Amino acid sequence: MAARGRCPECGSEALVEDSHYAQQQLVCASCGCVVSEGLLTTTYTEEEQLREVAYSQSTGQKEQLSRCLQRGIRRVQDLCKVLQLPGAFEETSVSYFQRALQHPRFHLLSLEKKELLGGCCVFVTCRQHNWPLTMGTICSLLYAKQELFAGVFLSLQKELGLSVPALSLADLVKTHLNGFRLCQRPADVPAPFVEDKEQLVTRTLQLVELAGETWLVTGRHPLPIVTAAAFLAWQSLRPCPRLSCSLARFCQLADLDLPPPARLRLSELLDVLLRMASQLAWLRVFRLDKKSVVKHVGDLLQHRIFLLRNAFCQEGEEERGEADPGQGPPPAQQKGHPSERSGRRPLLPPCLLKPRKRLRTAAPSAWEAAVTGDEPISDGEIEQYLRSPEEIRAFRRAKAWQ
Amino acid sequence: MDQNNSLPPYAPGLASPQGAMTPGIPIFSPMMPYGTGLTPQPVQSTNSLSLLEEQQRQQQQQQAAQQATAQQATQGTSGQTPQLFHSQTLTTAPLPGTTPLYPSPMTPMTPITPATPASESSGIVPQLQNIVSTVNLGCKLDLKTIALRARNAEYNPKRFAAVIMRIREPRTTALIFSSGKMVCTGAKSEEQSRLAARKYARVVQKLGFPAKFLDFKIQNMVGSCDVKFPIRLEGLVLTHQQFSSYEPELFPGLIYRMIKPRIVLLIFVSGKVVLTG
Repeated sequence: MAARGRCPECGSEALVEDSHYAQQQLVCASCGCVVSEGLLTTTYTEEEQLREVAYSQSTGQKEQLSRCLQRGIRRVQDLCKVLQLPGAFEETSVSYFQRALQHPRFHLLSLEKKELLGGCCVFVTCRQHNWPLTMGTICSLLYAKQELFAGVFLSLQKELGLSVPALSLADLVKTHLNGFRLCQRPADVPAPFVEDKEQLVTRTLQLVELAGETWLVTGRHPLPIVTAAAFLAWQSLRPCPRLSCSLARFCQLADLDLPPPARLRLSELLDVLLRMASQLAWLRVFRLDKKSVVKHVGDLLQHRIFLLRNAFCQEGEEERGEADPGQGPPPAQQKGHPSERSGRRPLLPPCLLKPRKRLRTAAPSAWEAAVTGDEPISDGEIEQYLRSPEEIRAFRRAKAWQ
Repeated sequence: MDQNNSLPPYAPGLASPQGAMTPGIPIFSPMMPYGTGLTPQPVQSTNSLSLLEEQQRQQQQQQAAQQATAQQATQGTSGQTPQLFHSQTLTTAPLPGTTPLYPSPMTPMTPITPATPASESSGIVPQLQNIVSTVNLGCKLDLKTIALRARNAEYNPKRFAAVIMRIREPRTTALIFSSGKMVCTGAKSEEQSRLAARKYARVVQKLGFPAKFLDFKIQNMVGSCDVKFPIRLEGLVLTHQQFSSYEPELFPGLIYRMIKPRIVLLIFVSGKVVLTG
């Protein structure tokens, strides 16, 4: 086979690839000068095949990495492909993974945890780029226990010194509702249940924001709140046919998971909405309950700033409002009137409103406060902790000491 | 009370330890004995810890009465001045009817350089919940003998290679290893921990081993307190990103790793804070 090019000596075009022992050479057929030798070939040695070899294969790049690292990198890349992440995420995750495996702490991890390490790197990368990925998703993809994942994640964060920004709830809402089946039109769903995605997402976002302002989000798992808010939003967009649908059925139809705390979040959110509704002039005539308030969610959300200010007092402040048309019953005193629905209650997280634990203030006794640490210890006190000889004999007989 | 407000919270000359012991204390600002938000000592005393320990013990009886009034006064102000931990919080004044939960300071904690200016001391004193200390008994021990001859010991070699011993006063638990090293947990103050460790050493001595009391060292102290207002953890993690770690999916509290002093704080939305380190 004649290679292209010209011989620099005689100018002929008849260049032949020939091998001198093991070395490839490009030789001019007419004058015999060697044009070049030892070319890096990009084809297999079987020239008839003429297949291109990838750079990574021909240069032995992969052999430099340990097999464990190779496997881990491949797993990270697969994860990124499954989650359909942009290409830059993959490179970042792989680089984190390589850095982590070099750390002595992660070098000797059990195989199970090394598998999780790849998932952690992907998770960290997504968080850093504000890509809303929950730990639950990664754990289900890796078939991992969440406690194990949490441990590896925290140690990865500490060892590599990575700063992981917080999960943005707004993005989470959008991605969580992406697979919302009720926005498409499947056959088994009755017509009034189908909903437009844009509207649903907007209203869910507003409800989640409201939950955030009223302390329902801080410290809690984000997904149940998103689920509860989505359910409320969906119901309120067309209340009449949808009020009869329960949360469980909704999640089943929409192909969403129903996490157990979602019911509690839903009732908390409804409670907040009811309090706000009590401050709205044209709703005060109705005796609203948790079902009927759903119909008015739109109005409540529209005036939420005003309603929040009126429905909830701040402790320690005299919120004697401006001349608003919706003042109605005078705001309850700061520390009282829990019975009236329309009374103002302080805007506090639920754990402070309903403390489950009795505050045990173990006041230290006078003796304990006066301990110096160097007091004499009486023999009698120590004797009480020692067994008498009869007891020892009895124990020796009774128990066979290993 | 009026003169307290007119005085600056820290009149520099006044905060000397000796000066604090004069009966002239009540005239000065009630916030004076408290350093920054967390320490019960004046800020300037960075080196004379032992001196302050003595001072604290002698002052405890005096301060017990003053503190009741001091707490009530400072809590009124602390309700309005935002403290170290939050970015956008609703400040709530303390609920009436709750007496100050923190009586006389039990033990001094190590002084810290304040992140907030000294004038914002809150008067909140963390209560110590647990102290972990270690001591070397200086001789090899036979754990089986100890488990046989002591009433308050449990030993299960298949599960854990140490004897678990407990005493009633102070209520503590100790792990005693065959090398002679011992870990003592559960005490509520450094002195109690030291006393408890000595009692354990005495028990081991009476069991026939030549136990000594070498290298007693406090390894870890855990305290808790309540700042009395709810905290926006998501805001805090945004402003103090390099120190905080907040994963609501994992744990409802925010983990704040303070660099100086090296303390880890668990901050919860209810305003309760656990300090350990």
